[in-house]
This record gives sequence, C-alpha cells and structure tokens, in this order.
Amino acid sequence: MSYKVITRPLKRIDAREKVTGEAKFGADLNFSGQLYAKTVYSRYPHARVLSINTEKAEALHGVEAVITAADVPGENELFGRFPVFAEKEVKYTGDGVAMVAATSKSIAEKAASLVEVEYEELPAVLTIEEALAHGAALVHTDAPGNFIENTHHLMRAGDVERGFEEADIILEKTYRTQFVEHGYIEPEVVIALPEPYRRGVEIHGSIQNPYSIRENVARALNLRISEVRVIPGNLGGSFGGKDESVMLMAARTAITALKTGRPVKMVLTREESILESAKRHSYKAKYKIGARKGGTIVALENTIYTQGGAYNNKARFANWRASVHAAGPYRIPNVKTDLYGVYTNTIYGGAFRGFSAPQVVFCNESLMDELAAELGISPKEIRLKNCLKPGDELVTGQVLRPGKIPAPLKQMIEEVCSRSDFDRKREEFSAGNSGDEPVKRGIGLACTFRGTGLGGEGIDTAGATVTIEKDGSVNIVSNLNEMGQGMRTAHAQIVAETLGISYGRITFSPTDTSVVPDGGPTVASRGTLAGGNAMLIAAQKLKERLLMEAGKILNCSWEGLVIEDEIIQYRGKEKLSITFDELIPRCIMERGLTLSAQGWYNPGPEELDPETGRGNAYPSYIYGCAVAEIRVNTLTGKLDVDRITAAYELGRVINPQIVKGQLMGGLIQGMGYGIMEDTETKEGYLITRNFDELMLPTSLDIPEIDIILYETDQNIGPYGAKGIGEIGVELSAPAIANALFHATGRRVRELPMNLERVLLGRALKR
Amino acid sequence: MQEFDFVKAKSLDHACTMLAGKRGRAKVIAGGTDLMIGLRNHRLSEEVDTIMDISGVGELAYIREEGELIRIGAGTTHAELALSSILWEAAPVLSMAAKSIGSPQIRNRGTIGGNIITSAPCADTVPALLVLDAALLLRRGESVRQVQIADFFEGPYRVKAAEDELLLEISFRRLRDGAKSLFDKLTRRNALAKARMNIAVIALQDKNKVVKDLRISLGSTTPIPCRFTDAERLFLGKVPRREDFLKAGQIISSEMVEKSGYRWSTDYKKPVVEALTAAALKRVLKAE
Amino acid sequence: MKKIRVSLRVNGRIFTLETDPNRRLIDVLREDLNFTGVKEGCGIGECGACTVLMNGKPVNSCLVLIGQAEGSEVVTIEGLKGKNGELHPLQEAFIEAGAVQCGYCIPGMILSAEALLQNNPHPTEDLIKEAISGNLCRCTGYRQIIDAVKIASKKIARKE
Ligand SMILES: Cc1cc2nc3c(=O)[nH]c(=O)nc-3n(C[C@H](O)[C@H](O)[C@H](O)COP(=O)(O)OP(=O)(O)OC[C@H]3O[C@@H](n4cnc5c(N)ncnc54)[C@H](O)[C@@H]3O)c2cc1C
Ligand code: FES
Ligand code: FES
Repeated sequence: MSYKVITRPLKRIDAREKVTGEAKFGADLNFSGQLYAKTVYSRYPHARVLSINTEKAEALHGVEAVITAADVPGENELFGRFPVFAEKEVKYTGDGVAMVAATSKSIAEKAASLVEVEYEELPAVLTIEEALAHGAALVHTDAPGNFIENTHHLMRAGDVERGFEEADIILEKTYRTQFVEHGYIEPEVVIALPEPYRRGVEIHGSIQNPYSIRENVARALNLRISEVRVIPGNLGGSFGGKDESVMLMAARTAITALKTGRPVKMVLTREESILESAKRHSYKAKYKIGARKGGTIVALENTIYTQGGAYNNKARFANWRASVHAAGPYRIPNVKTDLYGVYTNTIYGGAFRGFSAPQVVFCNESLMDELAAELGISPKEIRLKNCLKPGDELVTGQVLRPGKIPAPLKQMIEEVCSRSDFDRKREEFSAGNSGDEPVKRGIGLACTFRGTGLGGEGIDTAGATVTIEKDGSVNIVSNLNEMGQGMRTAHAQIVAETLGISYGRITFSPTDTSVVPDGGPTVASRGTLAGGNAMLIAAQKLKERLLMEAGKILNCSWEGLVIEDEIIQYRGKEKLSITFDELIPRCIMERGLTLSAQGWYNPGPEELDPETGRGNAYPSYIYGCAVAEIRVNTLTGKLDVDRITAAYELGRVINPQIVKGQLMGGLIQGMGYGIMEDTETKEGYLITRNFDELMLPTSLDIPEIDIILYETDQNIGPYGAKGIGEIGVELSAPAIANALFHATGRRVRELPMNLERVLLGRALKR
Repeated sequence: MQEFDFVKAKSLDHACTMLAGKRGRAKVIAGGTDLMIGLRNHRLSEEVDTIMDISGVGELAYIREEGELIRIGAGTTHAELALSSILWEAAPVLSMAAKSIGSPQIRNRGTIGGNIITSAPCADTVPALLVLDAALLLRRGESVRQVQIADFFEGPYRVKAAEDELLLEISFRRLRDGAKSLFDKLTRRNALAKARMNIAVIALQDKNKVVKDLRISLGSTTPIPCRFTDAERLFLGKVPRREDFLKAGQIISSEMVEKSGYRWSTDYKKPVVEALTAAALKRVLKAE
Repeated sequence: MKKIRVSLRVNGRIFTLETDPNRRLIDVLREDLNFTGVKEGCGIGECGACTVLMNGKPVNSCLVLIGQAEGSEVVTIEGLKGKNGELHPLQEAFIEAGAVQCGYCIPGMILSAEALLQNNPHPTEDLIKEAISGNLCRCTGYRQIIDAVKIASKKIARKE
C-alpha cells in the first residue's frame, strides 16, 4: 500500500505558532476585570482544622473574595476523594484550605499569608510500611488498613506453588521506585469566567482531561454538566499530570468566578505545582521467580504496593494495567500477581506517562538480569529463551497470532543486540573494567510490551468532528487533547489521507466540551489509536458523501469513484472526474449538503474474569527493546549514559519524525527518573520544591540515541497505527540499572540511581 | 515579591556614597542570580528598604594584568571570566571554575563579587580564589580596606563585611611558571548544577619533582571555606609518593568531619572527598 | 515603594514606563508590553523558558529586576521574525527538524541558539549542547533541537 500523507515526516500542524511565540498558553490569556487567585495550603501532613479566620485577608484592600469549604455550593468531595477545600481535616501538605482572589497577584499573595488557620496535628503515615503497620493511623477513617478503594488487582495463571516446585533455582528480590514529578515546563493555569451569554461557567487553562474536569466542576458548583464549558488551551506538556490539581483549581476558581461575577485566573508557581500536582506512584514490589537450570522460567509471584498518597483516583486503573504486565513480555506458565494501592499522608500518585509500566518494567527487567546472573547465562540469552513468540499465550490467556497480535520481540532483541554490538561490548567492557581505573563502563539490556489503548481499564471511545468548508479548507476537532505529543498532526494526516487531499488544507480547533461529545480522556496513548480512528470514521463518512455527490454529477455509480490527489475520478476512466475544489462548492451551495461529520469510535468493552484477572485485557500490544551503555565513576557514584539503542514495534507509523520525537523524549524522561530525579520529603514535607532540586536532564546529560522502528500490519488503529506516546519512557531505567550492574557488579534495586545509591547502595535521608 | 525602593548606581562613587548614606538599609544587586531568589522567597531582611543596582557600573567590570598581579573587578561576570584569555593563561583554575557555573544565562549575569558575598558552601569561584590566595578590596564610604580571602568567611552564607561595604576587586598573583592548576566539580547533572563538592588545586614541582608549592581547597566540605594546609604539608619539599594522594584525602576528610560534625551526608561525602582529592592530586602532581 | 521610570528597547522599539520596582523584566515584558512569547517555568533561573537576549546575550528574564534593564536592548522571540513576517532560519529549522512538541521551552531555546549562532555560525554539537544547557525541555529529549540548530547553521551559511 502506498500512502500520500501518512507515514511521512510532515511538519507539525501547530509548529509555526510555537516557534514564533504566537501560540498562547493558559498564562498568556487575560480577561478584563480578572481577579488573581491563590490557594492557602495546609501547614501539616495530617491535622484537624480547628478554625479558619479569613477576616484579615478579606480586609486587605483589593481582596474580592476569600473562600473555603463553606462556600462550595455543591459537593466538596470530587473524584478520588479530593476535597475542593479541606474542611475538617488536612491529609497532606498540598491540601487547600482556602483560596483568595484579589485584583493583583501581589495582593493575592499577601492575602493568602493573612488567612489564619488553627490546626491540631494528628499522627501521619508517610511510607507504605507505616501505612500498612498494625495499628497505623488512618488517612481516611473509612479505608481500613489504608488500602485505597478498588485498587487490589490480581492475575492468576497456572499454579505457582507447583511451578516453584519444578524450579531449580528461586530468587526473591524487592524493588522500589520513587514518586516522580512530571516536570512539564509550563506550570498549571486555570481561568474561570462566568459564561457571558447564559447561566454557567467557562474554563480555560492547561487541562489534560476537559470532560472529567467539566463533570467534577459541575458537581462542585451544583450546575448541570452542560452548563460548564471547558476549553483547554495549548498545554506546555502534561504527560498525565495536568489533571487532579487542575480539577481542584478549576473548581475553586469557578466557584469564585460565579460568586464575584468576575473572571478568576490562577497560575501556579513551580513550587505550588510540585506540591499540589500528581506524581508517578511510588512502588514497593516483592518478586519471587523460579527457573530451570537451562534458564526456562517456570513461575513468578509478585506482590506490589503502590503508594497513592492522601487522595487517589488513578491507582484503581494503573494497578489493573500493572497486573497485566507484571509478568513481563515472557512466557511464564505459572503466575500469581497482586497489587494494592496504599493511602499515605503525602503527595499523591496519578497518571504519568507509562501508567505503572515504568515501575513494573524496572522491577521485571532488573529481575531478569539478576536471574541470568544467578544462572550464569547472558542477559540476552535469558530473554531470547523466554520472550513471547508467535503462538505463545500471554498471562491473560490471549494467544499471540500474527495479524491479530504480533510477536516480533525475539527478532527485535536480536537486532538491537547486533546493532549495539552487545555481546562484544559486554566482553570488552568487562575486560577494561578489571583494572584499577575508577571509571567503569557497562552495557545493559531491557525489553517491554504494552497493551494498547485503555483495554479493560474503561471503554476506549473517542469522538471527532471533521468539517469541510466552502473554500475547501477542512477543520478537525477531537475530544482528545493536544499536549505536545503531536496528536493533531497525526489526526490531520489521517484525515488528509482518507479524503485524498493535501495536508495543507487541514486546520484544527481546540478541544471544547461544548462542541464535541465526551469521548473519554486523553490517556493511555489513545490519541492516535482511538482519536485517530474517530477521525478516520468521520473522514470516511465525508468521503462517502462526496463520492455519492460526485457520482450524481458525473452520472456514474459512486462505488467506482476514488479520491486521489484532490481529484475524484472513476477508476480507469480519466474523463469521468471532478476536482475537490469544484465539488465542494457544489455540494454546499448548490445541493445544501452538510459537509460536517462526526466520528465516534467504540471498540466495545473488553471481557475479564474478576477471579483470575484473565481475558482480553487489551486488543493488541506493542513491543520495545533497548540497550544502554554507561560510564560510572566508582569513587563518586557519578553515572553518565553514553548511548541508547532501541527498537519499537508500533503498528503503522503515521509520522516518523513525531514518533521518534516521542520515543526520544520518553527515553530521556526514563533516564531522568532512572538516575537523577527524585521528590524528596522530610517528615511529610517536600524538600524538592522547584527545578533546582528536581534535577531534570539537561542537554549536556543526554546520550546518543539510535532508534529502529518496526511496522506491522493489520492492527486495530487507523491505517494500522497503535499508540506510541508512553512506551518510550519504560526502558531507560532498567537498561541503565543492568548496565550499572555489568559495570560494577553492584545491583541497585531502588530508583533513582543517584550518586549516593550508586556509591553506597543506599540513599541518604536528610 | 518583597517590596523595596530601587536605585541604579551611576558610578562607583555614587554607589558608595549611597550605600554609606543608607547605613545598612540598602542592599546591593549585581547579577541578581542569588538575590532574586532571596527576594522571591522573602529572605530580604526587614531592615532593608532599598535595592541598589550596580550591574551597570562599568568601573566594576574588568580583568587586568599588572605585572605579576591579576586584578578582577567584582562586577565581572562568570561569562567574562570564562572567556578571558588573560585568565586562562594566568589562573586557569579560576577560568575552569567560572566556566562550570550554572548555565550560559546564569554566567551572563552572575558576578564573581556576588559569588563571594553570597558565600554559598558550593560557590565555585571560592575554592579557586582560596588556592590563588586572593586578596579582596572593599570600600565603605570613603575608606578602603584589603583582606585575604581566607580571612573573609564567617560561615555558610556569612562573610565579614558590613552591609554598606562594597566589594571592589579581587586580586592575586598569576601562577608561577610551570605551576599546574585544576578545578573539578561533582554534580548531579552536567549543567545547571550546584556542586555537591568541588575542589581547586595549584601545584608546582621542580625539575626533580620536589613539590615547591601546593594549595588545596574543597567546597561544600567545611563550614568556613578554607585551604587544607595539613594535607598540603604532606607534600611540600618532597617528591610525592602515590600513597600520599590517598593519605592527603584522608587528612582532609577527617578535617571535614572534625569541623562539620558527622552529618546525614557524611557517609557519602567522606569517601568522595578522599577520592576527589586523590584524583586531583594525581592529575597535577608527578609522583616518584 | 516608589515607582520607577524605565526606558528600554524591546525588539527594536523603545518603551518607557513607570512601574513598581519589585517587578521583574519578565513581568513587564509579558504583562505590560504583551510579549507573551516569554514564558515562565520556574522563576529561579533553572529552566530558561524566560530567556531573552539582553544586549545580545541570553539571560533569564525572571532574574532581572526591571530597573536593571534600564537602557538595555532586549530581544524576545517576537523580535526574531523578519519585517515581512518571514521566519528566522532557526524558526524554520525547528519546524523542519520536528524540534517542537509542546512548544513551551521553544522561545527560550531558539533565543539561546540565536546567541550561539551570532557568535559562532558553525558550532560543533558539543557547543550547541552547551549553549542550550540552561534551557530545559521536558518533551523532546533535546536531540531534534540539536539537529534543528545544525540545520539552521547550514541555512545561515547558505544565505551568506
Ligand atoms: C540557576 C542557577 C545556577 C547557579 N549555579 C551556580 C553554580 O554552578 N556555581 C556557583 O557558584 N553559583 C551558582 N549559582 C549562584 C549564583 O549565580 C552565583 O553565586 C553568582 O556568582 C552570584 O552573583 P550575582 O552577581 O548574580 O549576585 P547577586 O545576586 O546580585 O548578589 C548576591 C549577593 O552579593 C551581594 N553583592 C553582589 N555584588 C556585590 C559587591 N560588589 N559588593 C558587595 N556585595 C555584593 C548582594 O548584595 C547579594 O547579597 C547559580 C544560581 C542560579 C540561579
Ligand atoms: S522562569 Fe526564568 S529560568 Fe525558569
Ligand atoms: S517542547 Fe515541551 S518543553 Fe520543550
């Protein structure tokens, strides 16, 4: 099949505005008469709120409103138990107890410091261990054992007891990963304004999931869903993060906007952003694996605790995803997996690129190397031996059948190893490391697979509207959101390809909850897969409408017509043709047709057995394999990554440049949480408050990157595409951990592998 | 952001007169790369009501060579230091330190004077200036005084200067012929990274490898930045032995523990101080 | 707090304003002069999103008090386009190389690269990395940005 628009590295549809500085982000918008809002945060990780005195703040000249839980017209508790304002109790230091709105930023800042809150401190649980300890204080009194509701997910395949009996060797290891901050460079922004033309409220800002925020704001404000309109602006990155805290900001500012009758703008400082926004869940994972002498894995048992923080609405989904992937991309006949979400009086876990995979893949792939070392075989060999191959059954019971679910992992491992010269470098580095030079080199391998779309997490719908205008321009709107990942460009390419027209005709409108129906959130790498399918469906409807009309004009059966290069033509008869530019005005102005179509993609629910966790977890899977080469100074613990070679199977690549950008960006984020990023806390208070402590990778920290793309046919997405947004982030950390072991013989089982852990094997607590 | 009045110094004299007139109620801003963070975090002392900008005072920005003496205006930026060929030739240890700071943006604003006055434990120019035995020239109103940099620090973020005193100049002798110098910095990432620890060394050996001069200073190591003379003495007048490199590191790490106490970070810092010292000495000294 | 009077040239135009002295250059550029291409990411000099050229050099506009900018020449991303709206070679190159994802870091990134190319039209990869090391990008992993600067360098050479 040859394509005209897709598969090409076309320029991003939104690039020009972004390189000229013309693209507006939330903070760049201003409405006349707007107020500036600031949240008053909790002073303790856990405390009873005895009283809140807002008098002094209200008395300050320029303060227009000070609101607390008492001012919430509807429900104060939103999805995931997040309170709009903490009322009787604060459960972590990011809880908001009040919000001030004033005529200037500086007055708002001053007013916030004048709100007086009296607390009585309560005992706090700050770690998974503390939360699970017998007699631990409860974060939520109705969540016994501090277990988060609906977060126990499991997988049962075969019989692990029997499996371990068959094993010649059994390893038990515990791994931990940290809370990871998204670190998008744009801090959160929300502006709420009273609807100018009707009852209700309009909300702009850096909002990843406008529909769920609309629903929650409606609940908090006691409005109908249709009375809340959410228009996310350009997002300066999100990666899953601009969700829970933005929901709270939206509710708080919307309440104030309706109360004061004025637009209310809230821009978080970086410190507030890190304090109040979600993090990647911190994991404590206990693994037990059994294998035969020759390296065949026979059983795996793991119990994983995911730290959810004070409130949580993601662990219930993320833990489910983890349950499907916790045995890795390997054929293991006997598996027993359990995941539990745990409440603590700390920052909370949310969605962050990978959505459980970064943690699980770090554990699994570290374990594979530990097992290989124990068995005395190479990391490559153990993976080649056990990796999923055509015909194998996944832990879910799904069978890998090329054409349905491809299984190219073995080939990918071989290719990545040969391209990176894995075997030779392993020997060469080992030999070089034997001297007393402090700098050692290492090379490490890691693999992954990833269920595409939401699968059993929820119904994977998406909506799109495609409209052809009189002048032949074509506008697209998705219910899914552009956050920098390039989704709109992929959508535009899909629509242009389907309509047989040039990419340059496509324009886009921002997502707007009043325009496109709710088709679920922009998560789970769904943008191209589900969102692209919705675009494809809408474009196909329009194409059919155009062909039917052309058939009437040309006096031929429309089934024989094709559109290519903007010409509608009867197959094989060049004379029977009409150009796109001729056809459109005739359709619209002469025939009164609507050339606007809605696409709705609905793959239907996936069926799962609640007792075993097995079933059609995901309609398809994608694969990745990476090799990392590092240098580490064994006297200081300083680790640098020199090179990453990686291969990914992604179905069809709609735009190779964007795909590579996603994968490389993901690999660097993965390296970041792998070796340097941390969110440190001390007694429940964040120490990592701004970018000076967060340690995001800079341009001087990045390795050479070599990426190989695998394409396969007959996938579920548009033109065979699958999701690419997340898998890139998964492999760096485990490949680096394995390279570090190769270099030093030291296994680091906790992230990040920072100076202290590399040198001493443990982190230091302040 | 805190509130204050703002004045822009037009000249050195203007700056000093103004400062004297304000009797401690004015605070100087140079590049602002430290002070602006203080203002954001409300750390400006209550007594201060005025910020005086010296970033436009050209008289404070220079790098001059006067015979053996190198003189640097306190308002010279790190970028200017890192670009100066005079400095690379006369005292590469300081050039390296300046080049390692922050990012291009920070180096374009941040000044050597600000780095010294802020006196963060991780300040990169400070160990370099300590091994250069730099002298500081300060002015208060009309009176000018000179102090050795080794006598200037009182503790982390504390220097022995009055609020209305202006740092004018940093001067030191150029490295002697044949002397080697080195600055090294351990960081959590390769840019935008304050030093976890840093080290500056100057060494001079004669033809027979006898150590004529050796100066060692490490930052983020002791509460008051200093040279480690006990470690230096291990080598002076002798031909270095390999095992002394590590021994010097141990002398320094014990001095660190003695002066700073055993802190949360000592488990890490102790072996690393030893390693950094040994590695630096190995690079600048020829052993037996 | 007494207001101060400040004159500065931004993107070739002189602006004179009266303002509170405790405002930063970034505040005035964004709020008073509407150069919203200048972005704020951290407010402490760590991200470079607020980078502008001040007297030809990249600086963090979040660390400059407005009074300090008196008499200076400032260039923001809005000042890079040509008179007839044509894109600067760096802007073209960033589009071509796919160096833009969310776009939030891009104005600062381009200005840092511009300062580099002004001084050194043919930088090595190491110099490019060094020049943008004060600009964090969380999306791209920097590789395509580095490619873009290389492409721009070739474009500029071709024009000359
Ligand atoms: C992102 C970032 C990265 C950084 N990285 C590093 C790094 O890697 N290494 C490092 O050492 N530092 C680093 N710093 C700190 C800072 O840049 C340096 O300390 C810089 O040298 C301070 O100089 P300045 O001119 O900006 O000082 P300012 O902020 O203007 O002033 C600092 C202090 O010095 C006083 N002062 C300044 N000049 C004089 C003078 N002539 N006489 C009397 N008092 C004076 C001021 O009143 C103020 O108290 C970093 C800072 C940031 C924001
Ligand atoms: S906002 Fe100025 S450097 Fe981040
Ligand atoms: S493109 Fe998003 S931060 Fe750089």
